[in-house]
Amino acid sequence: MSGERARRIEGALKVTGRAEYAGEVRPDGMLHAALVQAEITCGDVVGIDDSAARHTPGFVDQVSYDDARSLAPSTATALIREPVVHFPGQPVGLTAADTLLAARTAAARVRVDYVERPSVAAIDQALDEAYAPAMAGRIIGASHRGDPAVALTGAHLVVRNRYQTAVNNHHPMEPHVVVCWWEGEQVVVHTSTQAVYGTRAIIAHALAMPADDVRVVCRYLGGGFGCKGQLWWPWMLWTLTASKRTGRPIRLELTRAQMFTLVGRRQETVQDLAVGFDATGRLVAIEHDVLAQTSTHGEYCDTTAEVSRRLYACPNVRTLHRLVRTNEPQPIPMRAPGTAPGTFALESALDEAAEQLGIDPVELRVRNFADHDHDADVPWSSNSLLQCYQVAADRFGWAQRPASATVVDGRWRIGWGMATTCYPAHRQPCRVRVRLQPDGTIVVQCGTQDMGSGTYTVLAQMVADALGVPLSQVTVELGDTLLPEGPFSGGSQVTASMFPAARQATDALRAQLAELGMGHDETLADAVQRIAPDGIEAEGAATANADIDVRCMSFGAIFTEVGVDADLAEIRVRRVTAAFATGRVLNPLLTESQHIGGLIGGIGMTLLEQTVTDRSSGRIIGDNLADYLVPVHADMPEFDIALIDEDDTYLPGGVKGVGMLGTAGIQAAIANAIHHATGTRVRHLPIRIEDLLHELPATTPGALPSMSE
Amino acid sequence: MSGVAFAYSRAADVADAVARGGAPGAAFVAGGTDLLQLWKAGRATPTELIDVYGLGLDGIGVDGDELSIGATARLSDVARHPFVVDQHPLIAEAVLASASGQIRNMATVGGNLLQRTRCPYFRTAGMACNKHRPGSGCGALDGEDRHAALFGAGSSCVATHPSDLAVALVALDATVEVSGARGVRRVGLSELYRLPGERPDVDTTLAAGELITRVLVPRAASIGRLATYVKVRDRASFEFALLSVAAVIRIDAGTIVHARLVCGGVAPAPWRLPAGEALLIGQKPERGVFTVAAAAAVEGAPPLPGNSFKVELLRRALVRTLTTIATGS
Repeated sequence: MSGERARRIEGALKVTGRAEYAGEVRPDGMLHAALVQAEITCGDVVGIDDSAARHTPGFVDQVSYDDARSLAPSTATALIREPVVHFPGQPVGLTAADTLLAARTAAARVRVDYVERPSVAAIDQALDEAYAPAMAGRIIGASHRGDPAVALTGAHLVVRNRYQTAVNNHHPMEPHVVVCWWEGEQVVVHTSTQAVYGTRAIIAHALAMPADDVRVVCRYLGGGFGCKGQLWWPWMLWTLTASKRTGRPIRLELTRAQMFTLVGRRQETVQDLAVGFDATGRLVAIEHDVLAQTSTHGEYCDTTAEVSRRLYACPNVRTLHRLVRTNEPQPIPMRAPGTAPGTFALESALDEAAEQLGIDPVELRVRNFADHDHDADVPWSSNSLLQCYQVAADRFGWAQRPASATVVDGRWRIGWGMATTCYPAHRQPCRVRVRLQPDGTIVVQCGTQDMGSGTYTVLAQMVADALGVPLSQVTVELGDTLLPEGPFSGGSQVTASMFPAARQATDALRAQLAELGMGHDETLADAVQRIAPDGIEAEGAATANADIDVRCMSFGAIFTEVGVDADLAEIRVRRVTAAFATGRVLNPLLTESQHIGGLIGGIGMTLLEQTVTDRSSGRIIGDNLADYLVPVHADMPEFDIALIDEDDTYLPGGVKGVGMLGTAGIQAAIANAIHHATGTRVRHLPIRIEDLLHELPATTPGALPSMSE
Repeated sequence: MSGVAFAYSRAADVADAVARGGAPGAAFVAGGTDLLQLWKAGRATPTELIDVYGLGLDGIGVDGDELSIGATARLSDVARHPFVVDQHPLIAEAVLASASGQIRNMATVGGNLLQRTRCPYFRTAGMACNKHRPGSGCGALDGEDRHAALFGAGSSCVATHPSDLAVALVALDATVEVSGARGVRRVGLSELYRLPGERPDVDTTLAAGELITRVLVPRAASIGRLATYVKVRDRASFEFALLSVAAVIRIDAGTIVHARLVCGGVAPAPWRLPAGEALLIGQKPERGVFTVAAAAAVEGAPPLPGNSFKVELLRRALVRTLTTIATGS
């Protein structure tokens, strides 16, 4: 079933600098923009005086709330229409000038008057105001089946703990950027976005324009991870407003520091989790209560407790999500939203239970395998989790797992740990156009975008396979609203959405050719010359999934080997072996790459990443990539990725998403390995030196071998 | 946000550099790897940059009884220079533990010694920081203090010096040669740095316009001596030290006759631990001795809540460093 291990078809363009990213578009007469940022934490803007800014050489324009008042009210325009400061650093205006330096100098000279209000800098400052949102992501915020309270009372073993995860920021290498200009009543917007069509809709709505008068282009993305979406729109819309008024193209690019505050974050969580087992290690009850942060201007809640509802077989489950509003930036989905923090808690607790029950951690999970989705009481479209455990455990050598805290390699204590990962498989509406050119080559078009993960390549492969032509004959066009509407890049669903649409398009093209009399042994190139000398094209469309009687999810099993410095408590991941089941694998090379990238993100979340807020001022400190640590090359473990092909006959084309899976589960797999290495359980992320140091015995004093002079 | 506009020129020679370098708003630049960050963050606001990269101050060689390293020698060149590798491997170790390969290809020795603190309250816009804005307070003192100093700090400032190289050089009794309006002078590297006291905004004892031209390391500092550098950090590379230790010992007839223990990342300057050094002298190089010396070395360090673990971490790092030297592994 596996497809070809094709390399990224746009790879050479990228590494030679020929791939034009949004921020590299430089129209003539372009102005540069800079944001004026609030210096208070919470309050009202009562006056904006730009008279000093206007004297800056090169200054052209300044826009703020008054200039956005005519925009249609929506969540995308609220922050630029209503003069209320919700968090430190929130933009209160935008300057445009001939040079970037002039724009920034002018921005610094804009005087803003505020009336300050009391603020909440952290969730523990307002715990009594916690509330339960109706929704957590796409799911209902609270759930209840059976009677978990009673079941926990009667359980043979209850593991009850609090787990905490830190605020993370997405930090794609490419910052958010927009370069826009007006052509009469039409606007052209080059921007770094995970949704060209979504961006077009927002602009058209805000400016009360026909959607066809808005063109949004994003041919390449330097990463997104969830932050290149709605929280960027307000600042982009201010830029469009300034461009319209000045009649000049304008470019706004966020600084790295601004990317800590303006474009979303993974929300911190405090999770109270109780899991109860019978004497044979079968789950009898789960209670999973999640407390998380949201902002004072928007509501977002990760699906953190969802894993407790359906990952395992369990008759009694209660889950609850609660939020606290703080004057901090707005959270949004970040790679493996919900499942990353949720599996950290659940899969850590299962490891604790396995130890206390004297059952191997893999065996404990096998015993609790859910043969259907117990939450919705529907079958899985496919679930190869048991095979994932077996394959990954074999390749890792799990059967040789030594006793806890016994293995030493030089200065390193070695530990092994494992965990389960999962993510829902979704699909969105998608249209794909396939054109057979007069020269016999193929052009494929879809108005989705490639985040860097291989969308160009996999779409080319789908069409090349379906039409029986070499990959080199296929050109793919993405990232432009002039192309047929495609899905946003998020939630691991682009490939699954494109596949049925591409298949329909190629089927339609073949049908047209057959109707025109294409011969059975005729090549496409010969046929098009003979019967359609101007070329011929066809479109296909896919619909969103509406799975009511079946549940579609991807699953995986992750095994890690971790080293902890026996004295200094430095933590390094040495080895990761993982098996993932994601339906039909269209390109094993790109799929493995996605998984490895996801796992690296998870390693960062587990050991390094933490956005730090100064509690007295509510400001984020260390807002740079020297202080906000992500894994570097020297941190890379050896990766061994197994792809479990599934024949999922329910899903069109049998395709499930890939991107999120590696970024969940790995957190608990590492934490469990750290416990195996050291005997210490750490129940918060990130896990750092100070969490282990005092639990590690100091080296015993003793004589060294005698030294010769 | 990025900083203000500045003029840029290349210095004709050292005399030209020091003649112009003392003017208000003037600043020297070589590799620029720290200055660029400081400028972007508004922590350096030069109006005139004087480029000293091309002044030929990048030589590395033996000068009499000393190893001479030019101030604009690139870190990458220092780390692989045969004299350095053969005679002072401690310097190469410390340099290779610094930054990334790309940054070492640009950064210079002089700039490394003069880089400014990584304290997030100093580097982040809008925070209370006496080093940035005297009189505005110290946000780290009652705030996030994982990176705060254990030694040499005061109520005005708890920032630490981030250089790895400087820690090794202090352990080797290095001096720096400085050119200024009043001629050339030499200053011990330990005396180059000053403690925050009443003026946390001033990091060094350099006068306005003074330029470090080279670093000098006595050859004797390494001959017959054993040394190593241990750097502790959260990730495996490309991170400033959570803390570090450079240790140098000389053993004669089975007894330690010379000892330098210097730690980094825990004080406003590379920080010598004389109490620990004293307990090594006259002793055998044994783990028990190291443990006692390490415990004495860290005694009395007054931690803050978020960095208290570093007292124990430093003690262990000292034992690790000395043990590594003694066992040769």
